[in-house]
Amino acid sequence: MHSRKKALLAATAGTAAGVVGLGLIAMPAGAGSAPRLPDISAEKLTESVLTADTPAMAGTISVDNNLGLPAIPGAAGGGDLLNIDSARVHTDGKDGKRVSIEKGSDEQTVISNARTTWIWDSEKREATKIPAGGRDVHRQAPAHAQRQLDDPTAAARQLVEKMHESSTVRVDGTARVADRPAYELVLTPKPTERTLLREVRVAVDSETRLPLRFTALTNGTSEPALRIEFTEVSVGAQPAELFRFTPPEGAKVNEERAEAPKRPKHAKPADRDLTVVGDGWDSVVVARSGQGIDEIAKAAGAGNGRQGTDPRAMLDRLGKKVSGPFGTGWVVSANVGNVLITEDGRLAAGAVPEQVLTEALGKTK
Amino acid sequence: MTATTAETPTPVASAARRAPLIRLLRAELRWVFRRPRTLVVLGLLALIPISVGISAAIADSSAGAAEGPPLFSMMAGNGLALSVGTLAITIMLLLPLVTAMSSADAIAGESAHGTLRGLLVAPVGRIRLLGVKAFGVACVALCAVLVIAVTGFLTGLVMSGPDGLFTISGTTLSIGAALGKLAVAVGWVAVQLWAVGAVALAISAYTEHPMLVVVGVLAGDILFAVLGGLSALSWLHPFLITESWSALPDVLRDPMPTEALTEGTLRAACYIIIGLSLAGARMLTKDG
Repeated sequence: MHSRKKALLAATAGTAAGVVGLGLIAMPAGAGSAPRLPDISAEKLTESVLTADTPAMAGTISVDNNLGLPAIPGAAGGGDLLNIDSARVHTDGKDGKRVSIEKGSDEQTVISNARTTWIWDSEKREATKIPAGGRDVHRQAPAHAQRQLDDPTAAARQLVEKMHESSTVRVDGTARVADRPAYELVLTPKPTERTLLREVRVAVDSETRLPLRFTALTNGTSEPALRIEFTEVSVGAQPAELFRFTPPEGAKVNEERAEAPKRPKHAKPADRDLTVVGDGWDSVVVARSGQGIDEIAKAAGAGNGRQGTDPRAMLDRLGKKVSGPFGTGWVVSANVGNVLITEDGRLAAGAVPEQVLTEALGKTK
Repeated sequence: MTATTAETPTPVASAARRAPLIRLLRAELRWVFRRPRTLVVLGLLALIPISVGISAAIADSSAGAAEGPPLFSMMAGNGLALSVGTLAITIMLLLPLVTAMSSADAIAGESAHGTLRGLLVAPVGRIRLLGVKAFGVACVALCAVLVIAVTGFLTGLVMSGPDGLFTISGTTLSIGAALGKLAVAVGWVAVQLWAVGAVALAISAYTEHPMLVVVGVLAGDILFAVLGGLSALSWLHPFLITESWSALPDVLRDPMPTEALTEGTLRAACYIIIGLSLAGARMLTKDG
């Protein structure tokens, strides 16, 4: 009887230890009390973010995408682009940069140094070589978030810069991100701005002034619409071989010429003729393609070598039909903004209510 | 088989009071690896990477997008990707089942045959007996992983020589570096299987029907996979061992991200502790 009791005791203790261990693993890392940091004014902090150089570092970025963008069948929708598992970033503080974007068990890696930039796609087993001075993948902004993600530092900086005029900027305490102490910089739109966004929070590393976390919050929700954050950061010199690349045996290698930057194959015709109406939080991007929506669909269908889906039926499903001085169109709503697509092939998008989009279309006529 | 059964207790009985551990472990290994079903299963496992490698090569040479499991597009002629990819496929169900079969034979099978009684009265501590049985299960699991890894790697080498070894990140590896990564993958998968084996041994200690052990592991595996797919239960996911298993392709990235792999190892260690303590409790309280 004695040994039985002891055995049960040992088993209970062992099982409990195992379960507690599992619980510890389940605890989110980096959750801790807010660190104590010396006070800093919002202006000074913003300025130091804008002027700081990216140090040599390695980090892992996770993306929590709650934008609510509708999935567009057969097209690379905006929702798809941010639908990544994580990205790993390495930089030597100078020209060497390496970004690996993980999607499932596939990876897209952009490796650049002073002379060349390589883009590697593991799914297609394809490597693209771009000599320096050609298409700068890290800075070119084809209005897609994926490119911005390549260099979150630059992206956040641009944003802070642009929003300073139309926003109230303040420092809202401190936080611990990726186990590093950080200041929380909060940008709130001024009351005159007509936007769906409530505030944008950027956690700034107290030491390197690197933006560690970017959170966009919309009116009426407590869950962030978009959160891009470092889950792991280690500042320090990186091995030089990380910034060199030799395509593996059997891979398809494309070379791009420096003087003739090619336009991405899948660029939508609507990308042409872009104008920005307004500034600050309620700026609206207006694009006109010069073609009606039916012709665009026909062209896209022919290019893909398959029957294009009926654009009208698709838009009917995704959005609601509206009409006004701009003609007839559809409004597709997401958590952070609205997109208005008209029958004559114009497109207006912004983090704004529908009415602002209609006005912007009227201004560009 | 009856010959080996009779043989096992003999050296134990002739020993003074405690049989030397090495001899016990050797006897258990002989006993496990003489079972025809163990050998047949290991032989069949060797066929999987070969057939996956051939189908990947066929899919690669024919035009059009290759539809297949994760990493499939990389597997043609890449021994490293073929090994790790096949491990990633088989860890989901097949390898846990092999481990469960071995655990079922270890304790429940012995009690079904009536041979466990003899082992329990032998001058071997019961915890020691459990340790020996766990060692046998661990060896079968490790062998199963090694068989897949080695055949996969050799298939890749035969198909395209040592040039085709590259990672998901596009870096080309030397044979030595590739073998290093393969060793990490083998060790990691083996630890995951040991966790499954520990839980299976616990079930095995509580029943005398070997079938129940296999069914239990199969049901648990499927249930965990279903729970893991429900996003409403995301708080539960870190507790599920199946959640770690999708991290295996990380081995093929360069530089290797260790976060998910380490977490998976720790999770497996917790399962090993839980499984072995439950099994130990039952062994100590079992009627001789």
